[in-house]
Amino acid sequence: MADYLISKWSASSWLLAGALLLPACSDFPKDPEKTLKRVENGTLVVGYSENPPWVVQGNPEPTGIEPALVKAFAQTLHARVRWRKGTEQTLFEDLEKRKIDLLIAGLTDESPWKNEKAGFTRSFVEHRKKKHVMAAIQGENAFVMRLEEFLYQREAAIAQRTQP
Amino acid sequence: MKKLARFEFPPELVPDFKKAKRLEWISIAYFISSVLVIFLTMGNSQTMKTAWYDDVLSLTPPIAFQVASRVFMKTPNKDFPYGYHRVVNIAYLCSAVALFALGAFLVIDSTISLVKTEHPTIGIVVIGGHPIWLGYLMIAALMWSTIPSVILGRKKLPLAQHLHEKNLYTDADMNKADWMSGFAAMLGIVGIGLGWWWADSAAALLISVDIVHDGFTNLKQAVFDLMDQTPKTVSGQQSDPLLDQVRDVLASQSWIKDFSFRMRENGHIYLGEGFVVPVQEENLTQHIANTAQTIEQLNWRIQEFVITPVPELPDDESA
Repeated sequence: MADYLISKWSASSWLLAGALLLPACSDFPKDPEKTLKRVENGTLVVGYSENPPWVVQGNPEPTGIEPALVKAFAQTLHARVRWRKGTEQTLFEDLEKRKIDLLIAGLTDESPWKNEKAGFTRSFVEHRKKKHVMAAIQGENAFVMRLEEFLYQREAAIAQRTQP
Repeated sequence: MKKLARFEFPPELVPDFKKAKRLEWISIAYFISSVLVIFLTMGNSQTMKTAWYDDVLSLTPPIAFQVASRVFMKTPNKDFPYGYHRVVNIAYLCSAVALFALGAFLVIDSTISLVKTEHPTIGIVVIGGHPIWLGYLMIAALMWSTIPSVILGRKKLPLAQHLHEKNLYTDADMNKADWMSGFAAMLGIVGIGLGWWWADSAAALLISVDIVHDGFTNLKQAVFDLMDQTPKTVSGQQSDPLLDQVRDVLASQSWIKDFSFRMRENGHIYLGEGFVVPVQEENLTQHIANTAQTIEQLNWRIQEFVITPVPELPDDESA
């Protein structure tokens, strides 16, 4: 009985200590495929599919609400953006094969691609009762978290821009 | 029709029974809160999904206990001369089947997610204007679903032994063992944070194997109970020492030449039949009545012991 207690409490306290120490590490959570490290001071490959006013076809690069956000986000990472045009179908395949880092197409959280291998961000704006999201590589949590934090800071500005 | 006497716990056990009922109400309220907390932080983690099912399933034994404890003490009547004790076994079988089936489903589900190399995506949530990684909340939720459960389990265990309440015992035992699956789940989430995508499905697989194990243990016990297995101690390890006491009483009667008996469990209580070869037939009915009474007074659990005089015992029958 005593042994059992000791082992239980030591296990719990180890865990507790671990959980408390984790936020101390700056790179937690980590990316399994190190997307954030690769993009920082490097290149952010963004797939886009036209869906005005969220993503508008432009020359040489897309314009609209989401491309503007992506450019500002890339700046915070000191990364340059490489654009890649496609259909949602091909872009989600690219995302699964990690050929692109981020996919924008005016996606909402009701997207039929929701069950594909992709990591959807939390919604950054609600427009006409639709919650808008972006899609990153599945499970790249450091990257997703950095993007979500960025989008959260811009929430008020985005909401203003999308006012009807 | 001869009905069983109305069952009541002996006075000294009534406080324990009330305490058990109160603890099971607390368990119900607690597991509902835990189910809610896990649901709110589930995200798309396989571990959290499994932990959620685990908590939902943990609700069934206390609910079964409350329902059964309302029914099993009902007075036996014309339609149910043996009373309502079997309700306990039926409730037990149902929850065991649910546990086993869902456990099996979760093993398959977690294996698929492991094989498909699903990488769990866990982002941030915003609480009071502060963005925070959802993984931390998951760990907090898992602590809430683990630590109180272990405490409840440890409190219920001795009561289950006093009351000879097998469902309560298994429930308490499962609660007590919750720290293992809780620990595995927390490791799974910490693993995700360390960039090990497989930690999530692996932890989920471990927890679901544990659910299957619980389910199998319960299923076996429930089936054995319904098949009138000879009475066992609450922990199910060895046959009840009460059987030896019954044997001693029968052996010490000078009017009995030879005897054989069998007993079965009916919910909390035992029913038994003794077959005796009397030395002589003088005062036979009086002897039978006295001996039956002595046996029934051995312990509150022996509800009825029927003694039948026989001219001789079959060859292979001997106490």
